Amino acid sequence: MRKSVSSARIYTTGRIMKLSILVISIFLSTVASLKASGVNAQNALDKRISLELNNVLLRDALNKIGDLADISFVYSSSKALDKNRVSVHAHNEKVKDLLEKLLTPHSLSYTVIDNRIVIRSAPDKGMKPVTPPGESSDMPPPIDVRGVITSDKGQPLPGVSVLVKGTTRGVATNAEGFFELKGVSNDAVLVITARGYKSQEVALSNYKGDVLRIELIAEASNLEEVVVTGFQNIDRNKFAGAAVRLKADDIKLDGVSDVSRMLEGRAAGVSVQNVSGTFGAAPKIRIRGATSINGDNKPLWVVDGVVLEDIVNISNDQLSSGDPTTLLGSAVAGLNANDIESYQILKDAAATALYGARAMNGVVVITTKKGKAGRTIINYTGNYSTQLKPVYSDFNIMNSAQQMSVLAELERKGILRPDILNGPDNGVYGKMYELMNADDNGNFPLENTQEAKAAFLRRYALANTDWFDILFRNNFMQEHSLSISSGTDRSQSYFSTSYFGDNGWTIADKINRYTLNYRNNYKFSDKLSGGFAAVGSVRQQRAPGALARNSNPVEGKYDRDFDINPFSFALNTSRTLTVYDEQGNLEYFRRNYAPFNIISELSNNYIDLNVIDLRLQGDLAYKIRPDLRYEFVGALRYVKSTREHQITEHANMANAYRAASTSVIRRNNKFLYRDPDDPEAEPVVALPYGGFYNRTEDMLVNFDFRNSITYTKKIADKHEVNVLAGQQVKYTDRQNFSNTGYGYQYENGGVPFIDYRILKQTIENNFPYYGMSKDYDRFVAFYGSGSYTYDGKYNITGTVRYDGSNRLGESNKARWLPTWSVAGSWNVEQEGFMRDVIWVDYLTVRATYGLTASMGPATNSTIVLRNVNTNRPYFTEVESVIQLANLENSELTWEKLYTTNVGLDASLFNRRMNVSVDVYQRTSFDLISIIKTSGIGGEAYKAANYADMESKGIEILVGGEIFRKKDWSWRTNLTFGYNTTLITNVKNIPNIFSLVVAEGGNKEGYPVRSLFSIDFKGLDPFTGAPLFVNQEGKTSGAVYLQDEETSHLVHEGPVDPTITGGFSNTFRYKNLSLNVFFTYQAGNKIRLNPAFSTSYSDLDAMPKEFYDRWVLQGDQNLTNVPSILDIMEQARQGGAYPYNNYNYSTERVAKGDFVRLKAVSVTYTAGNNLLKLTGLNSLSIGLAATNMWLVYADKRLKGQDPEFFNSGGVAQPVQKQLTLSLKVGL
Amino acid sequence: MHMRTIIRVVFLGGWLLVVAGCKKFLEHPPDNRAKLNSPAKVAQLLGTAYPQANYMAFCESISDNAADKGFGGLTNTNIQPYKFQDVSENQQDSPEFYWNACYAAIAAANQALEACNKAPDPENYRAQKGEALVCRAYAHFMLVTLFSKVYDPATADQDPGIPYVTEPETVVFKNYERKTVAYVYEMIEKDLTEGLPLIDDKSYSVPGYHFTKAAANAFAARFYLFKREYTKVIDHANAVFPGNNVVPSLRPWNTTYLTITYNELFARYAKDTEPANLLLVETSSLWARNYFTVRYGMDATVRSQILTANVTGGTWAFVNQLYTAGTNNYLIPKINEYFVRSSVNADIGYPYVMVPLFTAEEVLFNRAEAKAHLDDVDGAMDDLNLYASTRIRQYNRTNHAVTAQKARNFYRTSDTKAAVIETILDFKRAEFVQEGMRWFDLLRYNRPVVHTTWEGETFTLEPNDLRRVFQIPESARLSGIELNPR
Repeated sequence: MRKSVSSARIYTTGRIMKLSILVISIFLSTVASLKASGVNAQNALDKRISLELNNVLLRDALNKIGDLADISFVYSSSKALDKNRVSVHAHNEKVKDLLEKLLTPHSLSYTVIDNRIVIRSAPDKGMKPVTPPGESSDMPPPIDVRGVITSDKGQPLPGVSVLVKGTTRGVATNAEGFFELKGVSNDAVLVITARGYKSQEVALSNYKGDVLRIELIAEASNLEEVVVTGFQNIDRNKFAGAAVRLKADDIKLDGVSDVSRMLEGRAAGVSVQNVSGTFGAAPKIRIRGATSINGDNKPLWVVDGVVLEDIVNISNDQLSSGDPTTLLGSAVAGLNANDIESYQILKDAAATALYGARAMNGVVVITTKKGKAGRTIINYTGNYSTQLKPVYSDFNIMNSAQQMSVLAELERKGILRPDILNGPDNGVYGKMYELMNADDNGNFPLENTQEAKAAFLRRYALANTDWFDILFRNNFMQEHSLSISSGTDRSQSYFSTSYFGDNGWTIADKINRYTLNYRNNYKFSDKLSGGFAAVGSVRQQRAPGALARNSNPVEGKYDRDFDINPFSFALNTSRTLTVYDEQGNLEYFRRNYAPFNIISELSNNYIDLNVIDLRLQGDLAYKIRPDLRYEFVGALRYVKSTREHQITEHANMANAYRAASTSVIRRNNKFLYRDPDDPEAEPVVALPYGGFYNRTEDMLVNFDFRNSITYTKKIADKHEVNVLAGQQVKYTDRQNFSNTGYGYQYENGGVPFIDYRILKQTIENNFPYYGMSKDYDRFVAFYGSGSYTYDGKYNITGTVRYDGSNRLGESNKARWLPTWSVAGSWNVEQEGFMRDVIWVDYLTVRATYGLTASMGPATNSTIVLRNVNTNRPYFTEVESVIQLANLENSELTWEKLYTTNVGLDASLFNRRMNVSVDVYQRTSFDLISIIKTSGIGGEAYKAANYADMESKGIEILVGGEIFRKKDWSWRTNLTFGYNTTLITNVKNIPNIFSLVVAEGGNKEGYPVRSLFSIDFKGLDPFTGAPLFVNQEGKTSGAVYLQDEETSHLVHEGPVDPTITGGFSNTFRYKNLSLNVFFTYQAGNKIRLNPAFSTSYSDLDAMPKEFYDRWVLQGDQNLTNVPSILDIMEQARQGGAYPYNNYNYSTERVAKGDFVRLKAVSVTYTAGNNLLKLTGLNSLSIGLAATNMWLVYADKRLKGQDPEFFNSGGVAQPVQKQLTLSLKVGL
Repeated sequence: MHMRTIIRVVFLGGWLLVVAGCKKFLEHPPDNRAKLNSPAKVAQLLGTAYPQANYMAFCESISDNAADKGFGGLTNTNIQPYKFQDVSENQQDSPEFYWNACYAAIAAANQALEACNKAPDPENYRAQKGEALVCRAYAHFMLVTLFSKVYDPATADQDPGIPYVTEPETVVFKNYERKTVAYVYEMIEKDLTEGLPLIDDKSYSVPGYHFTKAAANAFAARFYLFKREYTKVIDHANAVFPGNNVVPSLRPWNTTYLTITYNELFARYAKDTEPANLLLVETSSLWARNYFTVRYGMDATVRSQILTANVTGGTWAFVNQLYTAGTNNYLIPKINEYFVRSSVNADIGYPYVMVPLFTAEEVLFNRAEAKAHLDDVDGAMDDLNLYASTRIRQYNRTNHAVTAQKARNFYRTSDTKAAVIETILDFKRAEFVQEGMRWFDLLRYNRPVVHTTWEGETFTLEPNDLRRVFQIPESARLSGIELNPR
């Protein structure tokens, strides 16, 4: 057993080394080749050639020279070349000299850039062109072709690929848009392709030897030409659905490693809330808000036509829990942002129709980059970032002197008495009382006098420990990405690899991620084409050791044992505690009856996460007839992740299991073993040596195959028909394994020492020390879609899909679900009456209606039986029994949604301004929720398809180029999304706690995930304790949080923002561009972090609100901040927790509205001159600052991030970040 | 064959293959759920065919074992039964929670029965079928006892019963009928008499938590006692005690229990190694922490009433294990809490109580009572003396024997039968104090209960009072069930 573990670990380390060597070697070799080519061009000038020419055009003469010397010319001024004729008589002459001789009389000169020789006008010397007499020579085939490629606006286009059709020959245009191909047969056809432009074919049969002028027509860049649904690519003007296309280059935030976070504020109606900024944790993404009450609300991610399945399904609530599982939450954490070409966000039923029964929450289709025919292009992108340490001035926390004065009050109130030594946790006062006890020799290290005590406490009062400084650092994050694209018109390949490394914003974090992407496309024949992609990523991450949190509705809080999250530790730990003692050694205070020091703990209690993600994908297309096409897409994905929670023998968590120094501690320490068969025995230590090695593994195997046939026909130039029919099979197996390894001795050669009692304790508590579960997902679908376009004006599309799944259980009836949609659009600008309206370039009116669905959280179309162990106190009585988890529900079905969408797209004023507006109304029905039944069937609370909700919203996108001048321009883009939801029917019976927590709860008549508050009714005039309206409607300090009477709660608002959007401005001046990007949200409510508790210890940090706390009778008229209870009053609270209730009261709510300066970036893109000098294809340097400024937020937040849920564990807020990015193209 | 036909056949065949493939492909269960495909698995399912809820709180609180201490814990499962109000609480220890748990047990039994009946080899499922039938009968019996009028031969065919469920429910809302108490009794008897002979003790891995032959007979004895078929009570009771060797099965109150600490008594009272425990069930219940702290419970007065004077003239051994938490919070350490944490180190979780559903003592009392009703006073006396010999401190047959004379004197009556029955009821009251059993006797004998409070209120539960029947949960209306009249 031990052997297999250790060899597995060696294997992983070996892998890392190999991959990073690979990255470096590729980088080195490209640099080398760059230099070599530079040298070659220079050498060519020194070549000696012989040449005889009479009365030829200067251009032809130069070309001849070029042929002989094997160099290519680039002409920046071509007038003189085509006007002047020359004669050349050279014998073994240096090219250099010959050129000078030829060019000087015509006021031309040359320079060498890269491997090309550039001819341009020399300073005018007043010479006139000479036209010497002579005769023309024969031009034997093959011919040489020269041309200039420009945009439709006349600007030269560099880097355009020019290929000779049917061959592998091709060139790319230079910075002037010029290209030249030598020795091409005169019946050849050139294929010209450029990103962002329609490709063109040019036949050379009429080529006269002059310079070809080819104008490329831009693909409409604002109104997307093509909608990529993942199933089909559809012309935008034939598409009626609500969809947004975002180019990766336009929205990329340099230095942000998770692509899902880049969507924030970019597309109207897509809300992204960074509930945790930790790498791998998913943001809360909603496309048009929630559609389901209890089911998933996250969108479906699709990469190159294949659905990206989650490794583990993170529920709505789990997302913000900070549990270690959330590190696997982001489906796209393994994607290299530089590989992405574009995002297509599909929003309404018509757009998502082909995803049928999984598309209720919208779809994000990612298209990755492909290889391009033409010159090999190598791109390097490097991002170097640092994140700023948080500082206390941003928060609202007492310094050590202020804290010490509160501690003095606690002492006066009898809370910090010597008996805290019997408690599990203590800080400065605990240490003081410890020292006041006699040591082994009977001496008292600290005298019990006021002076001695004051002197002792003085050190801590002055400590003012800066936890942020100790636990955080201005880290260094680096991301290197290298891609190589090459190909011919028959095969193209794209290779990329990247490394992302972060040495950690906190001392407990570290991330390495490697990605690899290799993609080849082949054109086997005119009919058959195909491609293959291998995509992989490896991720290694370290996170602070964290356990899953538990909801504690008893007291009204979330419990997480042994939480050492550095961010919440810094916010919640008293600044009187010191990290080092006077001798400079680590100083320990007591937590869980055992010594605790955060620095020591973070190095002794950590999680190592490893993820390997591999995807193989192949596609094949066969043109059966010109109008009939067969396509196949198949993918295999394998993901394995392991989480090793390593808790060494020095960790506080391990030592807590051994804390048994006094009989009081033995009695109170819950980590000691109590023998149920010997009730009178004293609890004993069950973990005498070692720590823990807890391992969790998640595995995913996923196959996805799809066959489809497309029929496209244009009849009589007016009727266009497109029919698609297909079939899909999907197979996903997931496995989860977890194991608690007791007594692992990290320092003793990894030998586990297992006391049988620790296992006995676990078993008697009915917790298996290991577990494994499997989950199977089988999916079959048939789909069809037909669309008809008349005269380019009117489009109508209908889609049906029939899905089958095993997720509902083994019932034939429930398994299948048909979904459908209809859509129509009208391209108004095509109409005759619009011809004269010249300021409208494009105007489309769209309308769609359809049914989509999603799998609800119930699987009992047949009975669900689960094996459990009985909850009986004695091991001999425990048996494995089968529990009836859910009765059969023969009426079970999918959750469904009708969407109506009406939209308008327009492009105005010569494409200066784009407007897109969508209005929608959605009706969700058959939603799964809990309903109370008579109980007679045996299940009192059933999950059934009965709940309904409605949502509606509007989305607006306005964008345009406000200024468009040669040297400068200003482009702006504003997105706005408004969405409200309303639960119209749900009969669940939430308890108070589930409605007042930060994540909100669901109740009929309110929006999905609404935040409720306990109604605060002032402070008790005698104790300063808070009073509320309790579950019975009476004013009281005690509110029973598990009560189901929730009518006395105050509704605050939804947790999800109703308004979201972004505002982006790009200013360009020559080669410099500045982007300023704001995001905003509004309409939601936020629960303030819990700051109050019934009792406080000398470990807690307190917010400055405590200044205003109730101190004397009468203060209740001045303040709403409750008092600190003395020990008597605490005892009187009985089973009530008024201070925890206060955390959930109307006093502790803030508005969620904010405007954030999300990113500011300055980019310098190298101009032609610099490129020529450096020999690079492209070069840009940028500096970006992200999350720097929260422009507006509710004052009540006092430093709390309005997006972030500070839930401890592995959660971290999104950080302020500075990034330097470098992009180099070769 | 024409080409077209061939194409059609190929196409159809291909389609069928695809459809068949789909069916198989999609038939894969979505997770690791269990399937009832062997006797062992059906047996496992029957591990949950026992009502996992505790009736002690509301039964004890409504009974005359409760009095107002003037202070103490306030829970609706205690206050409302004490004041003879409908219990609004629906969580642990409430009648609604118990109702749900009984029907959950019935659902498990029905599912097991369906598996037994559909199995290709039903002969291998005999023992499981037996247990399932008896489980189904037991849960219905407890429901009809608490939620319908107590069985009265005269009115049973008119009194509304409770829905007797015999097949698994497969829709979200299904309609049920209450029918009559007589019908429910008939169905219980049918299941019980069919199931009991099939039971095989050897099929259980933890017999203490299953209907063994003994436990099933104990249930039959209780059932026929309620049904007033006393000969059958004696028959089934005798089957519980093989060789009529009763005393080793009784709790050693006046020997071992005298010397152990209260922690030790807590630990063993509801343990399956105690021969007295014929059937145990684990229940999610707060009664262990509430039973002595609630405001309406055993105070000093009730304690004296129940645990001081008795027919034997001796002292109850119970008194040696009688404790008080604070003042007036009396308890006998027999209801122990087993706390199930919500995660390994959590401080919160679900408290459980192991409830002895049937004990040797109850069987003995039932036999004695049946004998008394059949006018076998001596037989009844013998049984009571067997009992007293394990309960009276320093028991001495000469001094402490229960006799008809002593009973008549003690209860100041000349009616021997009545005196014997009173003796039995009082012994039972003492034996099961704080366990809720008293309520069932008060029901059977239609005795009034009077509760007073410190505020000076008096609540009286008259014989035949409509409130003697606990209210059916409001949500039962969704299944077309009428609530009990009030």
